[in-house]
Parts: sequence; C-alpha cells; structure tokens
Amino acid sequence: MGNDRFIDESSENMINKVSEGQDHNVVETGEIISSSEKKSFKDGIIYRIIVNFLFFLGSIILVAFLGYFVVFIAPSLQESRTVKKAAVITDEEFTKEAGYKKQIGQIKKDVQNLSKRYNGFTSGQSYIVINTTDNKFALYKNKQLIREGSCSTGSFTMLKGKGNKKWVFKTPRGQFTVRGKRTNPVWTRPDWSFVEEGLPIPSPRDESRYEPGVLGDYALTLGDGYMIHGTIYKRFLGMPVTHGCVRLNDEDLDVVFHTLNVGSKVYIY
Amino acid sequence: MENKVKKRIYAGKIFFIIVLCLVSLCVAYYSTMVMKAPAKKFAELKAEYGPDSTKKKKLDERMFSDSDYLSLLKEKAILQSKLSMADADSVYFVINLADSTANLELCGVVVHQAKISSYVASNIILKGDDNVILPMLASPFTIASDISTIKKEPLMIKIAPKDTSEYKPDITPDTTIIEPVAYIMEMTNGVKIFVYEEEASVSDKDRVVFKFDLKYKMDEAKRYFKSISHFEVPEYYPVIKIKIPRTDAKIIYRAIPKHGQIGIYR
Repeated sequence: MGNDRFIDESSENMINKVSEGQDHNVVETGEIISSSEKKSFKDGIIYRIIVNFLFFLGSIILVAFLGYFVVFIAPSLQESRTVKKAAVITDEEFTKEAGYKKQIGQIKKDVQNLSKRYNGFTSGQSYIVINTTDNKFALYKNKQLIREGSCSTGSFTMLKGKGNKKWVFKTPRGQFTVRGKRTNPVWTRPDWSFVEEGLPIPSPRDESRYEPGVLGDYALTLGDGYMIHGTIYKRFLGMPVTHGCVRLNDEDLDVVFHTLNVGSKVYIY
Repeated sequence: MENKVKKRIYAGKIFFIIVLCLVSLCVAYYSTMVMKAPAKKFAELKAEYGPDSTKKKKLDERMFSDSDYLSLLKEKAILQSKLSMADADSVYFVINLADSTANLELCGVVVHQAKISSYVASNIILKGDDNVILPMLASPFTIASDISTIKKEPLMIKIAPKDTSEYKPDITPDTTIIEPVAYIMEMTNGVKIFVYEEEASVSDKDRVVFKFDLKYKMDEAKRYFKSISHFEVPEYYPVIKIKIPRTDAKIIYRAIPKHGQIGIYR
C-alpha cells in the first residue's frame, strides 16, 4: 500500500510537472523555458509514450490470449471432464444366476452366428487384391498369400476430344469377377486410342483396330472392357499409367492366370 | 489541473478493472457453454441409441459390469457393423482401437492393413456408457463430408491432339513426390475421424499438416463462437484421431468412397 501511494504521488507530481511544462510551452510561447522545466516536459512525454505503449501491448496480449483460449484451450476443456467408467467386475454370485447364464448363452450364440456369416464372405477360392494407389497386387489361394508384386493401373487422366467427348482413364474399384480367360489376346483398339494419338477414328471392324502381342501372353476379362493383362511397357510397372486395365509382368501374369479361374474374385481398391 | 489528472488516472484504473471483469466473465461463460456441449451430445446419443425405457423386459444392469458379457457385446457390435458394410459392394474402413489396427475391407475380405501408431478419442467414445455407445457402434458410420491435404482423385486433364504432328507420348509420372497426408471425415452421426500421417515431417511438409490442423481449429472456434454468442450450447462432435504411416493414410483415403462407411471397435 505504502509503495502504491509513493508511486501514485511521484507519478502525479511528474504529470503535474508535465502539464505545467506544457502550459508554459503552449501558453507562454516565446518565453525562455528553464532546463529543469524542459526535462520534466520531456519526462512527461516519455511517460505518456510508455503508458500508451503498455496499454497497446496489454491489448495485444489480451487479444492473443483470447484467441489462444478460443482456438486451443476451450476445445481441450471439453475432454478435461473426467468420465468415470463403470467398474467392470465379475461378480461370482451373479454369474451363477440363471438369468446371467441365459444372457451370456444368448449373446455367445449371436456372436457365433454373426462370425459364421461374416467368414462366409471369404471363400476358400483363389482371389487377387489390387491396390491402385500403390500399384501393387496380392494373390491369395486358400486364404493364403501366394504372390505379390507390382502392377500398373489407371492413370487418372481425362482425355478431352472433339465435340465434348471425354474419357476418364481410371481403374474401377470394388469387387469384380473373372469373366473370361484368353491366351495370346489381341487388343481391339477402342476409339480413345486413336483420339489420343491424333489419328482419325476408323470403322469398328477396321483392320487397324487389331493389335496382337501388346497384351502379353494372357488376359483375364473383368467386364466393361477392363482386363488384367501383360505389357510391353515393363519399365512403367508400379506406376499409374494405364487406361483402366491392370498390367502385370510376364511371370506374375503367368501365375495369376493359372491360379484364378472364371468366377474368381478380383478386389480392387 | 491536478484534479483533472487524478480523475484521468482513476478513470483509467476503473476502465482497466471493468475490462478485466468483462473478459473474465466472457471467458467463464464461454468455458461453461463449451463444457456443456459434450453432455448435450451424449443426451442426444442416449435418446437415439440408449435402452428403450418403455420396454417391459429390461436387461439386468449388472450385466454391463460383467467383463465377459461386455467383451461379447463389443464383438457383436463390430460384427453387426461389418456385416452391414460387407453387404454393400464397396470398400469400407474398420478402425480397431483395441488392437491398434486400421483395415480396409471389401465384401468381408481384408484388402489392406495398417498399424495405428497412436490414437486419441473423445471420452464419450472411449468411456461413454456401454449401454449407449455399443448400440451406436453396432451400425456403420457413414461419411457425410471430408477435408484433406490430398486429392481424392488426382485427375489430370489432357486435350487430344488435332493430328499426329501434335501427338506427344505421356510423361512418366513422378512417383517420388511426397505429399503430406492429413484428413478429417465427418460422419452423419456427428463423429469426426481424423487421420494423420505418423511420420515426423520436416520443413514445408510439416507446415502443411500444421496449417491444415490450425485452419480446422479456427473454423471450429468460429462455429463455437457463433453459437455461444447466440446463447446456445454449441454442437459437439466426438472425435477419433489416429496416426498411421503416410502411405497407408493415402491408400485408405483414396480407397474409401466419398460417402463410404466406417466401423469402429473400441
């Protein structure tokens, strides 16, 4: 308290001096101001600058604190409340009751039935899983992984041709089925293949549409024109470069072709 | 003059005290409203998923403090959720907080597995009443919207050449580019799932995730502020935040459909 009073008095004196000095300066212009008056005048200005600066700084700190509080502290307060979880204790007496046994028996039966239904989704048949983000494949037989490696999938390119014609080159995701298996497949070039190279589109049965050799030794058809096949562009394996089909190297294709049957599942994600 | 200065100082002090009081009041009010939000959300969840009080045959309360019963109930909940998702022909995401695994599944087949390095979840989800939370977890969560640092489908547009002279072969894609991965999926039931890459990124990449997170927090603060300024308890979203390897985070984000489904096991 004593200190406060002292500070108040000294600051008041200083302010008085400042105001006096200001009076001198403004009212009695042209008069010679003594050096002590000049000093107190300067001190007064400095004092005001400091006070204003502190006020400004205080305001900034306050606003920053409020901002920090609203963005960071307040949301964490929501999780600060301790939630007491009911104690999980197995009461020996309770477990002997007929009601308990009935409930446990019922829920066990439910879980068994649900597990059985869920496991039924994965058959013992061979299947292949294709990862279009990493361009990898994994081949399974009797639920065991038998081969994995790189592949190439859709490039995520949209080709815009004349007259608002568009083609999106991406591998579809979901569950597919091997619909057919071909040996020494011949690629029938679709329209986009000509548009992409700036060539005129030939008639559907034109000879220029048929290209043997580019799909490798085998092809497994998935429907809608999508296939798993080989490639002559082996350096692109592991990259998203295709028009939607899945390309494999010759060795992997051979194993995949001979492991999967017509009807086998193909999971693409 | 002396009196004038004294009055000024006094007024300044009063002003300072009033401002401090007002700020403290606002902070206290804001905190109270913010802390009320989870209780409001839990009451909503209880009304939606909690036991039906009108039901004649009630389950013995003691069952919910039995460890065997609870573990079976949890298993039943996730199986119900997974079965429902497996019926649809699209990829779904299963987060197992108990095992710290995050799997992508398709028609009952696990197509991709990732290890959760760390996770944080709201008290409602982790410690909430099993009577309410387990029935909620028994049905899959559906994604309503999402925000991310990466594109869901990085589609490139290519204009077809007019003739063969304009034709240029495709450029080999650069697979060495590393994109920082973070995304938030908001579910239709109000739960938000945050997925972050676990890698300690450096420099610019670190800032991408930091900025993404900060932007989200600021948007949330704005939303809270708006509700509270209207004297309303803000909407609370229970959260699950997981950290997984960057490649897995990217694969999962790109594989899940826009309005895909998520199953949670805790």
